[in-house]
Amino acid sequence: MPKKDLNDYSICSDARAMIKKAREDGVETVWDRLEEQLPQCGFCELGLSCRNCVMGPCRIDPFGHGPKRGVCGADADVIVARNFGRMVAAGAAAHSDHGRDLLETLHAVAEGETGDYGIRDEEKLRRIAAEVGLDVAGKDTKAVAKALADRFFEDFGFRRGSVSFLGRVPAKRREVWKKFGVTPRGIDRDIVEMMHRTHMGVDNDAVNLCLHAARLSLADGWGGSMIATELSDIIFGTPTPKTSKVNLGVLRADHVNILVHGHSPIVSEMILAAVRDPGLIAKAKAAGAAGINLAGLCCTGNELLMRQGIPMAGNHLMTELALVTGAVEVVVVDYQCIMPSLVTVAACYHSRIVSTSPKAKFTGATHIEFDVHNARQKAVEVVELAIERFTARDQSRVDIPATPVDMMTGFSNEAILAALGGTAGPLLDAVKAGKIRGAVGIVGCNNPKVKHDYQSANLIRECIKRDLLVLVTGCVTVSAGKQGLLVPQAADLAGPGLSAVCKALGIPPVLHMGSCVDNSRIIQLCGLLADALGVDIADLPVAAAAPEWYSEKAATIGLYAVASGIFTVLGLAPPILGSKTVTDLAVSGLDDVLGACFAVEGDPVKAAELIDARITAKRTALGLVP
Amino acid sequence: MLKKTVIVRPELCVGCMQCMIRCAQAHSRSKILASAIREDILAKPRIHIGVGPEHKPFPNKCRHCEPAPCQEACMPWAIRSDIAEGLKIVDPARCIGCGMCAMACPYYVIRFYRDKDAPERPAVAVKCDGCHERVAAGGVPACVEACKTGALTFEDVNLYLKEGTNRLANAAYGVRA
Repeated sequence: MPKKDLNDYSICSDARAMIKKAREDGVETVWDRLEEQLPQCGFCELGLSCRNCVMGPCRIDPFGHGPKRGVCGADADVIVARNFGRMVAAGAAAHSDHGRDLLETLHAVAEGETGDYGIRDEEKLRRIAAEVGLDVAGKDTKAVAKALADRFFEDFGFRRGSVSFLGRVPAKRREVWKKFGVTPRGIDRDIVEMMHRTHMGVDNDAVNLCLHAARLSLADGWGGSMIATELSDIIFGTPTPKTSKVNLGVLRADHVNILVHGHSPIVSEMILAAVRDPGLIAKAKAAGAAGINLAGLCCTGNELLMRQGIPMAGNHLMTELALVTGAVEVVVVDYQCIMPSLVTVAACYHSRIVSTSPKAKFTGATHIEFDVHNARQKAVEVVELAIERFTARDQSRVDIPATPVDMMTGFSNEAILAALGGTAGPLLDAVKAGKIRGAVGIVGCNNPKVKHDYQSANLIRECIKRDLLVLVTGCVTVSAGKQGLLVPQAADLAGPGLSAVCKALGIPPVLHMGSCVDNSRIIQLCGLLADALGVDIADLPVAAAAPEWYSEKAATIGLYAVASGIFTVLGLAPPILGSKTVTDLAVSGLDDVLGACFAVEGDPVKAAELIDARITAKRTALGLVP
Repeated sequence: MLKKTVIVRPELCVGCMQCMIRCAQAHSRSKILASAIREDILAKPRIHIGVGPEHKPFPNKCRHCEPAPCQEACMPWAIRSDIAEGLKIVDPARCIGCGMCAMACPYYVIRFYRDKDAPERPAVAVKCDGCHERVAAGGVPACVEACKTGALTFEDVNLYLKEGTNRLANAAYGVRA
């Protein structure tokens, strides 16, 4: 099959240069594999295939020529709802298991079982403990940490009946959840219950299944993900505004280059500590390098970027291409979104993939297992391996195709409130006055089915033009940063109202709020704003979008945004279109139940128009100028 | 017979029915799966998977015979040879749904459904049209594009048979090719 034009792959010149080099070097990439897969399974694309039992596999014929029911009797609606439910459960499980790892780390700190990790933000530890109703007065740090860990252990179980951060949800929203039976009860409970419900012969009502999917997504957003965010801040520090750089140009030809890839800060923070070790820097220099350079990929990169200002090499679709530069010694990975192909790509160069988690091994990778007891020592081993690999680097194959772009990061809710003088008041005033017409969380992944970064970057541009403040997390951070949208000067691209506010505060019109679990920061902020106005989140002039999403986790995030009352535009349709019932529920029916729904729109201008129309309606309903 | 045609290798078929769904999509009005399944008159597949012994799948489609028994049996001359060279294509506007073609067809590859191009009729003959529009545009038939296992390929029939002859020649001398 003839390859498509290079310009159709990505809007980024560093990506295009590396795709070209990959072809010359004979390296297969994600785009090659997508072409091999086309056309993809039509039944699966519509959600109409079921592999849940061995009476099957079954498929429903959407053209009405073949079977209308699976062997068990499930129709298109039930099969689609079951499949979607499992998709959402998988996404919630991923975020929440990540949260569990932070919780185990906090517990180990509290028990004095680790010297490698500690409490960097004690104020936040005490604040969160008090928030969830724990008595912190007179207790020492470890005792508070122990009590908080014990409380959050219960959030994962089913003893308490609701997750601890339910108190952050505005009262009106809690009422909605209660009315429709979607109040999240326990993180693991709600995920496991979905696996139960989707077993043959359990929940056979599409709407009931979708409502439980909403509940379990809320157990992620206001549970597992929120715990991951808050505990990461407590253990590694709450982010504050800082500057950094982004794109493949952050790699350095004369340095030992180490990339962290995955999601949790637990491993990446230790790698950061090791690359700053003077002894290891001396070793690197002895090996002929000018020093050791650390950069991030995907969400663990976002974690280091937010807290430490470590530069970002790229997002999801850049992970293979980073290796194609020939300048990367080691990619250290933990879990989630790490393409198994990286091992093969690394083998085409001198690079090594180092896996670190017992739950995420990669055949062909070097496995250096991290735990709370050995993390610092294991990080030293990783850096030593990178120095050794540097000596094997073939400089004639190195091509670093860009100069880095500046970006700002570190906008935690604490940082935003601090910048506003301690309360959300000034932000609300700007919203009421129509200077900032609303806020849009633009988040999510990359997907090789669509032009890399095109939809994300252009939707951001369209939103800020309309005086909509944009909040980014995850892979969209890099999409925005590379286009120069994460610097204060980008205020020039914003509408007059937003531009003036940004210039007064010295902030970009697009705020980086963290990794994908940090979408919990965005819903928490929505909760704060709604509480300040005495309204439901669904009444706020806010929206969300996942323009280039690919993962199960993104489906969960989209659903918890909607279930929290936030209108959400997806750039690609989830595999639900085979059921008219489920599709109608997603794109309109949920509006009646939860006060928000999904839209699917792949064109960034049209997506911005949908968002604008929603926000205009919300503003009008609040009695504000549209 | 056309030089290039859909060659079926039933031993490679895994019964996934991708050819059927992509065939129906290719014959819909929108040609986009997500909207094709919402059209008033749903397109239907023109390739079918028969079930053999031990549930072995057998892809079955029109051979575009010449002379074609279906065409000879068709009273209103609805099965036309003048739409695309070498293909026997049903003209829904002429079909009266009498079923004579299906009775004459030795391969059971004709079905009867409502058709978007003759919406006033309760049912007309629906069969493979060789994806002549796709082929004219430089593509391959939708069923072939969908097939992941090589059970359906679009090949020069004489070249395919020549390869077969060579395999047979090897086998005759005890060599497995």
